[in-house]
Amino acid sequence: MDVKLEGINKSFGQVQVLKDINLVFPSRKFITLLGPSGCGKTTLLRMIAGLEPVTSGGIRFGERVVNELAPRDRNIAMVFQSYALYPQMTVRRNLGYGLRVRKTPKAEMDAAVERVAAILEISHLLDRKPAQLSGGQRQRVALGRAMVRQPDIFLMDEPLSNLDAKLRVTMRAELRRFHLDLGATTIYVTHDQLEAMTMSDMIAVMHGGIVQQFGTPAEVYGQPANLFVAGFIGSPPMNLLAGELRGDDKPTFASPGLTVQLPNLVAHPPSRDVMLGIRPQDLDLVGDHEPADLRGRVWVVELLGSEKLVEVEYAERKRVTVQVRAETSVNVDDTVGVRLNARRAHVFDIKSGATLRS
Amino acid sequence: MTRIEFWTLTRRLASYAVLSAVTFIVCFPLVWALSTSLKPKSEIFATPPTLIPHAATTENYKALLTGRPQYFQSGGQQVTSGTTPAQFFTRWFVNSVIVTLGSTLISITISTLAAYSLTRFRYWGRTVVPYFSLLGYMVPSIIFVFPLFLVMVQLNLTDSLLSLVLGYVCITLPFCMWLMWAFMRSIPIEIEEAALIDGASRLQVFRQVVLPTALPGIIAAAIFSMIVSWNDYLFGRVFLNSLDNLTLTVGVMLFFEGTHVDWGLLMAASVLMTVPMAILFMALQRHLVAGFGAGAVKG
Ligand SMILES: Nc1ncnc2c1ncn2[C@@H]1O[C@H](COP(=O)(O)OP(=O)(O)OP(=O)(O)O)[C@@H](O)[C@H]1O
Ligand SMILES: [Mg+2]
Repeated sequence: MDVKLEGINKSFGQVQVLKDINLVFPSRKFITLLGPSGCGKTTLLRMIAGLEPVTSGGIRFGERVVNELAPRDRNIAMVFQSYALYPQMTVRRNLGYGLRVRKTPKAEMDAAVERVAAILEISHLLDRKPAQLSGGQRQRVALGRAMVRQPDIFLMDEPLSNLDAKLRVTMRAELRRFHLDLGATTIYVTHDQLEAMTMSDMIAVMHGGIVQQFGTPAEVYGQPANLFVAGFIGSPPMNLLAGELRGDDKPTFASPGLTVQLPNLVAHPPSRDVMLGIRPQDLDLVGDHEPADLRGRVWVVELLGSEKLVEVEYAERKRVTVQVRAETSVNVDDTVGVRLNARRAHVFDIKSGATLRS
Repeated sequence: MTRIEFWTLTRRLASYAVLSAVTFIVCFPLVWALSTSLKPKSEIFATPPTLIPHAATTENYKALLTGRPQYFQSGGQQVTSGTTPAQFFTRWFVNSVIVTLGSTLISITISTLAAYSLTRFRYWGRTVVPYFSLLGYMVPSIIFVFPLFLVMVQLNLTDSLLSLVLGYVCITLPFCMWLMWAFMRSIPIEIEEAALIDGASRLQVFRQVVLPTALPGIIAAAIFSMIVSWNDYLFGRVFLNSLDNLTLTVGVMLFFEGTHVDWGLLMAASVLMTVPMAILFMALQRHLVAGFGAGAVKG
């Protein structure tokens, strides 16, 4: 079932936390709401669930407006940021609660609980109480409780945030798998861009209650719509260099220490303040005497396993991060040249933050 | 024995010694009451005193529980006519049970519902009510006795068990409400929201999710309310006057009237008064700490 958000606004008292959200989540896709803490992701998810009233705007499931519908009439399931298991019920009763209140026959209910428990590998925990489970096990119970009911829409609020790094990686793949098996529209909230990139069909990047960009992971990574998305998506983060855009038929970025032609940009009004964005992967280190776009001194070197991050200071207090292979020999205080793949550069207007496209 | 083992042992012995001393101090009066209640009259003031009666007798208990006057002696003479207070013991016991259970039931019902409302709905004053209610509890209850008595007079309820039930609700409700409020506040709202999404109605959420989770708090409040009502003397003394209507605490004090105090009878009454509370505690105490909201949220 597709979910349409039409001009959604949300205020708590005087504070407006969501501003004019217009999004269409296609049916059966895995959609991620991504943004830093406090940007309104949970609030938006709770409004879709019917737990929070909408200040203005409409929410539709398919063609049906659901604004006034109680949570239990929306046929949704939700995994809470805090799991929210029923503390005095066993795992079995936790999983079956949704079926029990909907008066499902007992045999059918037991079968559904057993099936889900088997998928999540928690069959041996069915008679325990939540207090007797580890964090990862609780998380599986929370997921299971949402899965037994075959909902139209599956809502998840940072379900992996409490797991250790290794379990998180395994669970990412499992969640993706569940989504494909379940055939429900999944709306997933996270502030972890890696989770968003690896799991989603579509990502809505949010900041300050505004949707900054909505697109596939490749679009959000490859064509960031504005400075915020450019800086938020990608690890290590994109280098952002302030400067000026010059030239008429051959646009050129100019700043102290770096002048580079931008073949992707076509004619622009001359002389405007811009921000040049370039990912560390699109920069390369060269020897001191080879031709380079900028030259400087190595400020710090970080080894990340198969890669190295090299921070180069090319002008007073101006640095860029370059990602090179781990074998590259480079030491602090070396003088080096940096070459820049100008075709991969992004240019943003400083005032509006919006990208300048060819 | 190594040095470490030696110190561990010493420390353990020391803590046992302290714990035994405390237990002794707390339990001795009870043990002494029990011992006295089982002694025949001749032995009660024997010197040296005996802790274990030489000739144990259940006379005193029989007298209280059957209420037959031939068992009562006054100054060495059998009382055969008229009434003695001890005759009413079983009656008072039942009265005490009625007012204790009645007032506790009312207090718990009101405070649970009020606490749920105060923590889950938004309206003016919901943040100050719990603090004022705690303040109300801090005022000594003696201040309320006479105003409440006048109210009971107006309502034509004096000398009735109902007046006592209402009086106890007045003094236990503020604290019960504060306790339940503090407890309800700690129940994460997400578990209710999860139940709403699972398909439960508001009422189902309250009955199937909130109440079971709040059970330890409800039990704590109930124990508090029962202790206050069971042990109260003041309200009973002021509100009641006919022998038939007295509660245990007020009634047993009548044992002191007259020229001769029957200590054996008095101690037997004290022991019998303690029994229900002791049983209550043993039955409920494990609920007090067990499962308090545990495991609802991560961590
Ligand atoms: N009940 C509320 N009353 C007032 N303000 C609220 C309420 N709930 C949320 N807010 C505010 O709304 C904003 C968005 O909150 P929200 O919980 O949606 O953030 P989030 O994106 O989920 O953050 P996180 O990643 O930390 O969970 C925050 O600034 C928060 O302070
Ligand atoms: Mg959140």
